[in-house]
Amino acid sequence: MNSIILTRVFRLLILIVLQVLVFNNIHLFGYITPLVIGYMVVCFHRNTSQTEILIWGFVTGFISDLFSNTAGMGAASCTLIAMIQPYWLNLLAPRDSADDFTPTMITMGFWNYILYIILLMVVLHGCFYLLDAFTLYDWFLTILSIAGGAVLSTLIILFIELMIRARKNITTH
Amino acid sequence: MRALIDLIVHNKHWFVFLLLEVISLVFLFSYNGYQKSVYFTTANDVVGSTYNVISGITSYLHLQEVNNELEATNEELRKEVYAMRQQLEAIQQDSMKRPQALPLRYEVVPAQVVNMTLHKATNFITINKGEADGIRPEMGVVCSRGVVGIVYMTSRHYSIVMPLLNVNSKISCRLRGSDYFGSLVWQRGYADIAYVTSVPRHAPVKKKAIVETNGYSDIFPPGLPIGVVQQVGDSPDGMSYFLRVKLFTNFPTLREVSVITNYHSAERRMLEEMAEDPAKQDSVLNSQEKQKELEEKKNNLSPDTIR
Repeated sequence: MNSIILTRVFRLLILIVLQVLVFNNIHLFGYITPLVIGYMVVCFHRNTSQTEILIWGFVTGFISDLFSNTAGMGAASCTLIAMIQPYWLNLLAPRDSADDFTPTMITMGFWNYILYIILLMVVLHGCFYLLDAFTLYDWFLTILSIAGGAVLSTLIILFIELMIRARKNITTH
Repeated sequence: MRALIDLIVHNKHWFVFLLLEVISLVFLFSYNGYQKSVYFTTANDVVGSTYNVISGITSYLHLQEVNNELEATNEELRKEVYAMRQQLEAIQQDSMKRPQALPLRYEVVPAQVVNMTLHKATNFITINKGEADGIRPEMGVVCSRGVVGIVYMTSRHYSIVMPLLNVNSKISCRLRGSDYFGSLVWQRGYADIAYVTSVPRHAPVKKKAIVETNGYSDIFPPGLPIGVVQQVGDSPDGMSYFLRVKLFTNFPTLREVSVITNYHSAERRMLEEMAEDPAKQDSVLNSQEKQKELEEKKNNLSPDTIR
């Protein structure tokens, strides 16, 4: 139990550092900025208490907000995907999987995993940028940032996932 | 009753969800309007000092550009000094005596940028000077190249600046050499392009004209450069020009800024507020007395600041 919490705190710290120091400074074509903090919510295994996921999501968003001057926007979007994650994971998990099924590229299969992440990322970026713009005046730019950010974050999360798998393979052999 | 409690316990995650979303939105909206929530921003001391360390490291990466910029400014200043010296000589040769120029009426506090966003609709810059250094909201912020923005909220040691690159920013400006004024606004997208609206159609506007502050507001002194007109267009209603302006300030590499601290006049603002609000007009005398008291207090506190 404690080790799970420690892992999550560690993951939270790493993601915040990455988001604040690296990804907040990426503005691809001037409007695409990935929100990698969403990876925090992506990682929860099936049958985690929903309240727990919600609180972790909120805390992640909140801390990232503190560092990026986006008061409330990150927290609101992360809470939203934390709400969706259990239902979406249930839908995509293989039929015969265990109760505490953990979503990874290997357990879910490559395409299912991408599908799983990209929906969460679209919702995350959608919520974030709509709250940022708060009007539909610049709707084309907003849509571009949402789509671009979601795709870029998905790629980054896949990359992180691959790195973790690679490291685990090294340590087990 | 039992069924109700069961229902709540069974669906408690929905309530937690609603609660957390409401909290987030409260943060979002209260932050946008008020200064009391400065603790939830990068002006918060812990976050601010973290950024201070980070920017101390990253500023090394920009030293080359900063150097180039300083070199360019130096060159410009040297030219200006030269031109002015010549002017001075010309005037001194004249038999007419010119009254001595008024001394500059504003002082600046130098500060460093510790955090900045450029890609959002509402961008902010955090700088490492705050109330302890005499910075208050609504003071103007400039850099060696031109205008940066206006102080938005302050904490003890940090301040948040609303730069020109914010959809809510609106700065009154004029075209150099003419008295027609407009207001400078920004639209989301480019970090070096802003727009001047409401310049009347009969004003002589040319490409490459320099846009500068006009000194109508008490935030910036007149004549500070903002940018150069890149394209002349019409506003949607056809009643005025809509000018595309390339900003002088290079926001992505901005490090060193200065806050104009004493140009700001509380008395003038109070007067204007009163003029706008008829309910307050009765109390003009009252508030003038208050203002006097306040000034006296200030003078007593810091007698050495008066000159």
